Amino acid sequence: MVLEATMICIDNSEWMRNGDYSPSRFQAQADAVNLICGAKTQSNPENTVGVLAMAGKGVRVLVTPTSDLGKILACMHGLEIGGEMNLAAGIQVAQLALKHRQNKKQQQRIIVFAGSPIKHDKKTLEMIGRKLKKSNVALDIVDFGEEEDGKAEKLEALLAAVNTNDTSHIVHVPTGPNALSDVLISTPIFTGDGEGGSGFAAAAAAAAAGGVSGFEFGVDPNLDPELALALRVSMEEERARQEAAAKKAAEEGSKQEKGGEQPSSSQDATMTESASVAASEADNKRNDLTDEENALLRQALAMSMDEPASSHELRDTDMSEAAADDPDLALALQLSVQDSTKDSGSQTDMSKLLADQSFVSSILASLPGVDPNDPSVKDLLASMQSQSEPPEKKDEDKPKEEK
Amino acid sequence: MSTESASAIQKSQVDLVDFVDWSGVECLNQNSSHSLPNALKQGYREDDGLNLESDADEQLLIYIPFTQVVKLYSVVVKGPEEEGPKTVKLFSNKEHMGFSNVNEFPPSDTAILSPDNLKEKPVVLKYVKFQNVRSLTIFIEDNQSGSDITKVQKIALFGTTVETTDMKGLKKIEDH
Repeated sequence: MVLEATMICIDNSEWMRNGDYSPSRFQAQADAVNLICGAKTQSNPENTVGVLAMAGKGVRVLVTPTSDLGKILACMHGLEIGGEMNLAAGIQVAQLALKHRQNKKQQQRIIVFAGSPIKHDKKTLEMIGRKLKKSNVALDIVDFGEEEDGKAEKLEALLAAVNTNDTSHIVHVPTGPNALSDVLISTPIFTGDGEGGSGFAAAAAAAAAGGVSGFEFGVDPNLDPELALALRVSMEEERARQEAAAKKAAEEGSKQEKGGEQPSSSQDATMTESASVAASEADNKRNDLTDEENALLRQALAMSMDEPASSHELRDTDMSEAAADDPDLALALQLSVQDSTKDSGSQTDMSKLLADQSFVSSILASLPGVDPNDPSVKDLLASMQSQSEPPEKKDEDKPKEEK
Repeated sequence: MSTESASAIQKSQVDLVDFVDWSGVECLNQNSSHSLPNALKQGYREDDGLNLESDADEQLLIYIPFTQVVKLYSVVVKGPEEEGPKTVKLFSNKEHMGFSNVNEFPPSDTAILSPDNLKEKPVVLKYVKFQNVRSLTIFIEDNQSGSDITKVQKIALFGTTVETTDMKGLKKIEDH
């Protein structure tokens, strides 16, 4: 939430015609600029962003720092590609533009897209860096496009000269299938110096990574920021509470099937908990997939992964329907629910559960067409179900104690 | 001469540290672990171990706004013999200066500090130039030995306040 004025320096030189970043280097830059502007204005509505072009006919300020996103998006249209980038002049003009910002309380930041080879020498860049440092201006460098000998070195030297307290960053983006914007999303340039990321950045990251509907809790932070904030806060509280509950559960039921307690604790949960569980689910699922190779488990996991926001009630009905059909599936589903409602907290719990899981899954694997009337399977099911009832009561007491 | 200035300080001058508007105080090119409050704030500035140090080079630009209008009489700058400041330029009522435009305006006063000054001998200023000071900018251009880092142990400002209305004292007239 830092109050900041940012100047973005775009490289619109001839080197940007290249298509190694899809669709072209220039387009990738334009997308990245749009995303950055969005993220900055989201994290603090009083932030301003300006844009200048470093190549073309010469260094030219396209937009002076403003909080109007429309202006910024519009200025990227019809920007011609050509000429050579002048990095030193670009940074100096950016510094001047920031100096004349309207709100003097804003911190000053320059973001440079360095796509073409750099013709200045290290000394010049270091001097520029020192000037920026003296005037308390932070600098973010995006090194992409042309890979020239010594380019990375020069940029690192520039960063070292500017950097105070890690407020300045550099990102090297090699060519590859990932879009420039996607790579930038996970960097400190977006997340703003490790503040934990604005909701925008987190949402965009979720969209890029998992193909889930773009927003963390199914709530658009733009439309309802208070709700998004409230959900986020309650998720963190729940996570902390769950970790504490899980630790206690782990200690008490160390010999029993720990799985029995987990689903019951989640059944106590409210909607927000289901959302938090859904979020931790996504992480746990990826871990578990590598360990378990049971096809049934994978199916169940995929099912619940597709509906991360669905309530537990839905899942329980799914389970009971499936249970009627196939006790194997029921067992697998129950195991997957136990799995997924595990906390991201204690690793020791995880390993113990996994040990149990692998034991059980090995049973399943070894008995592909297991007889439902098999007494051992029946006993297992029965014991798990009976355990879920007394721990439920225990869990109700536990939250009261903790509060 | 020195006794004169010393007594002048005692006469009616107060230490203006009480009238500094801390929310607007800024210092450019300071080392973040050795920052301005070390030299300016009561308590910190008495400790010679806590200094204000410069970062990228030897210059420092300090901006001090006041909570009310003051008249500035003298200034005490204390520093180590070698890295203490030498040329100090003072600008009155100039907001948000940067290193680039600091040489564009003539300073309200310039002081070349001698080693005596660095031992807390006050520097008397051109009083007429500092009659109506809302904010003070101190530009430390270089230091005694020409080293890369300038260290300042204490900055104290002496002067008087101008009679201004205390807004908090104003009370609303009750309607009858």
